[in-house]
Amino acid sequence: MTKGWQLTLVLILLGLFALFYQGLWGDPRHIPTVLIGTDAPMVEGPDVETGDMISLEQFKGKVVLLNFWASWCYECKVEHESVLQLHQLFKDDPNFVMLGVNYQDKLPDAQQYLKEYGTTFPHMRDLHGQIAIDYGVYGVPETFVIDQEGKIRYKYVGPVTGHMYTTITQNIIAPLLKDQPINTKS
Amino acid sequence: MIIEIGHFSVIIALVLSVFGMASSALALKTRNPDWARSGRMALTLIFSLLSIGMLSLVYSFIVRDFSVLYVANNSNSKLPFFYTVSAVWGGHEGSLLLWVFILSVFSTLAVWLHWRTQPTIMPYLIAVECAIIFGFLCLIVFLSSPFERLLPVPLDGKDLNPLLQDPAMVMHPPMLYMGYVGFSIPFSFAMAALFSGRLGEEWIKVTQRWTTFAWMCLTTGILLGGYWAYYELGWGGYWGWDPVENASFMPWLVGTAYLHSVLVQEKRKMFKVWNLFLIIVTFSLSLIGTFLVRSGVLTSVHSFATDPERGLYILIFVGSVIGIAFGALILRSNKLKSQVEMDSLISRESIFLFNNLFFLVAAATVFLGTLYPLILETLQGAKVTVGPPYYNAVFMPIALGLLFLMGIGPYIPWRKASVASLKKSFSIPLLAGAVMVVVLAITGIRNLYALAGTYVVAFSGMAIVLDFGKVSQLYAQRNSSNIFKGCLSAFTANQRRYAAMLTHIGVLVLVIGIIASTIYQTEKVVSMQVGDEFTIADYRIKLTELHEVEGGNWKAEEGVFQVFDGATLLTELRPQKRIYNATKTPTTESAIYAINMGHIFLTMPEVSPEGVAVARGVINPLILWVWGGGIIMGLGVILNILRPRKKDE
Amino acid sequence: MRMSIRFTLILLLILTSPWPLLAEVQDETALDIQVREIAKTLRCTVCQTENIWESGAPLAQQMRGVVRERLKLGHSPEDIQEYFLSRYGDYIMMEPPKHGVNWLIWVGPFILLLGGGLLLYKEVNGWVRGTPSPPAAAPPPLDEQARQRLERELES
Repeated sequence: MTKGWQLTLVLILLGLFALFYQGLWGDPRHIPTVLIGTDAPMVEGPDVETGDMISLEQFKGKVVLLNFWASWCYECKVEHESVLQLHQLFKDDPNFVMLGVNYQDKLPDAQQYLKEYGTTFPHMRDLHGQIAIDYGVYGVPETFVIDQEGKIRYKYVGPVTGHMYTTITQNIIAPLLKDQPINTKS
Repeated sequence: MIIEIGHFSVIIALVLSVFGMASSALALKTRNPDWARSGRMALTLIFSLLSIGMLSLVYSFIVRDFSVLYVANNSNSKLPFFYTVSAVWGGHEGSLLLWVFILSVFSTLAVWLHWRTQPTIMPYLIAVECAIIFGFLCLIVFLSSPFERLLPVPLDGKDLNPLLQDPAMVMHPPMLYMGYVGFSIPFSFAMAALFSGRLGEEWIKVTQRWTTFAWMCLTTGILLGGYWAYYELGWGGYWGWDPVENASFMPWLVGTAYLHSVLVQEKRKMFKVWNLFLIIVTFSLSLIGTFLVRSGVLTSVHSFATDPERGLYILIFVGSVIGIAFGALILRSNKLKSQVEMDSLISRESIFLFNNLFFLVAAATVFLGTLYPLILETLQGAKVTVGPPYYNAVFMPIALGLLFLMGIGPYIPWRKASVASLKKSFSIPLLAGAVMVVVLAITGIRNLYALAGTYVVAFSGMAIVLDFGKVSQLYAQRNSSNIFKGCLSAFTANQRRYAAMLTHIGVLVLVIGIIASTIYQTEKVVSMQVGDEFTIADYRIKLTELHEVEGGNWKAEEGVFQVFDGATLLTELRPQKRIYNATKTPTTESAIYAINMGHIFLTMPEVSPEGVAVARGVINPLILWVWGGGIIMGLGVILNILRPRKKDE
Repeated sequence: MRMSIRFTLILLLILTSPWPLLAEVQDETALDIQVREIAKTLRCTVCQTENIWESGAPLAQQMRGVVRERLKLGHSPEDIQEYFLSRYGDYIMMEPPKHGVNWLIWVGPFILLLGGGLLLYKEVNGWVRGTPSPPAAAPPPLDEQARQRLERELES
């Protein structure tokens, strides 16, 4: 085989193995979101605990943290403490709202979960999966941060704990509340 | 205790594989054949020890020793005996052990079978085989051991994945691995030829039957996978272009190209480097397939549970083998500058080259499609899905081209075809294709792909039948016997050629089955209660009963459906919605009725507590031609391998 | 009076009994068929390469519900696909949408085939030209020695 073909072969092989190596550290199921910077869908659903209708419309002009969870989800339990703590951190700011969305769950299970693990903010039920689909959700837990203009500024798939907790609180929510630009690179 | 014996045996086998490589090196250095014999003994011992390892695992499964982690994870006290044995290769660790066990069987067999006729390259062969065994055994012993204990011992195991509790699934991995491993033999011979510098046609001749055998196993393994998917997954489909399916299809495509290309080397002594390249690519793709399935790089229905560390080891191992193989090829290829003698573009040699082109483009297409999501994500961070609609659209023309070439290749002369010979061989087939298309179009078939497929299948089929007919007639005349005896004489006198043509016929039958069952499949999904009925195609399906049933390790909701053609009751179908007790996994069990060589395929995806069942009926026309085609292909290969040896072989 | 009570009771019994008076012939509606066609083009995000029609996952079921709702509201299939694309990105389609860099894999195979074919054609032609054609001339005349030997053999 000529030198040209030999070189092509070697380059293809090297490229291939570099690609495979890169692939080892990724998550083939992770879907990068296309919603950053777009308008947050104005969804609504009945409150898990009280049954009253909650609508995102009510919180226009505020920074909203939307957290999708389910009672059957292990990682949601893992992040629950963290999430409550996050709420404590910002609850006194009148421009901050925290909302949970109960995803693909049975009402008694969801109510039992909240009773057992406690909560300090309201949760709306996603009755037909429409809320989740509107937000491009494909699993739980997923967390969104919506700014005062009603635009989705940040999304995270996975439990908000440790390093991610710090990123969201310090680099996303805090600056937004002060009308400062945010840094999404953690 | 037994499992520890197995574990220990595998560790000794690992050590022996190093010894095998060392003694081969010494055999070459000292030119002392005793070192080569030591290497052969080491390989034989490795086979014995790995047998002990496999047997210890089988034993642990049979006695339901849940103190062994792998047994606890893949079986259960209620698991039927048959599946308890097959559970040995139901998970990642056990299936790896099966892989390397089959490798040791084939390697030992190859070394003993060819010892007398190929003495000079034996040390190289043993060294290459031991190197591959070493790589796999390191993975098993250090990173994926099926021999680990589980304490405290659980009361019962987790159970084998219900989807694997199926006869076709039992045979699918062993068949597939025999295919992958089968190709390692010509690969090892090729490496031995490259390392030793003895690059004559020897290694091709010697490995020809191994190649055919490996090809048959791989084809059967892939078809069994499709068969399983069709019967077990409850979807009525048999191929999903899933990454792991693709991982087995790519070596098959290149392996088939190789199988054909070596015929040219045998006849005309040409394309040496090309054939070496092809077998290296084939085996590399088998190894890459192993990597893809077990590393977590791609998401798939089949992927085993994964771990980046394990994936990294496999990547390094596979990368080393492939790198060394191609490196040796590049270095030696400078010594292999042969003058290629081609008399004409219109010749069998040329057709074989175009055959290779199409097969390789097919393999490259599947490769690109499988890896494109990964490529895009790495370069741009965006994600796409490359699913069946893409592959079906892109693959169709390539497949049509290949089928067309299949009808030309065997009937075009070597070296140069005259216009007269072309007319003689191909006028009738070309016409036959057109006639079939017109006939089908008149009967209402208008789909472009179906018609194109029909043309190509009719063309190739006619070419095969015409050629065999002519030759049979000649034999009949010569022996003054009837045409049937003529056929028999013709077949046995040229068994290699006509067994291969039988395999080609099998391919055509398979293709017709695929075209009919894909393009003309009809589906209907309805909600119904007991007493309701629905129609699909020309059949009426009526739900007469809904009740519960139980099996050894599962419970199910079963629906009794009567299938009518007009007023005639054809059969009763009983699809189920099952839940397996141990894992609480639900499965959809399909109910199938064969009619007119197709299937009425019925499933019941849901049953509500109020007695409302969702019934899904699918009509798969000519689906039996898919499995039948596979069987004919296999028959052709068996007749090929079992042909009487001729003087020059 | 008693007769009519009995009659009413029997009537009530018939009307409320669990077995259906009339077995129904079920069928798919045009809407069902449309839902299926669109569902087959959308990927189930929690499954492995399955479309939302094939998948049994709850998310797939909900997505099918959304497709159905939107069809009822009069959206076109393209609108519905656009909607899902805007929520999930290109990943949600079962095949790579034909824009931008994705054209690479759509035309790739054909470029490979045509390009490869051309290269092969050129290469083979090169070989054909480089191969000396077999001599068509008559066999070379015998030399003296051979001729004599031949004559001797023919005589014996």
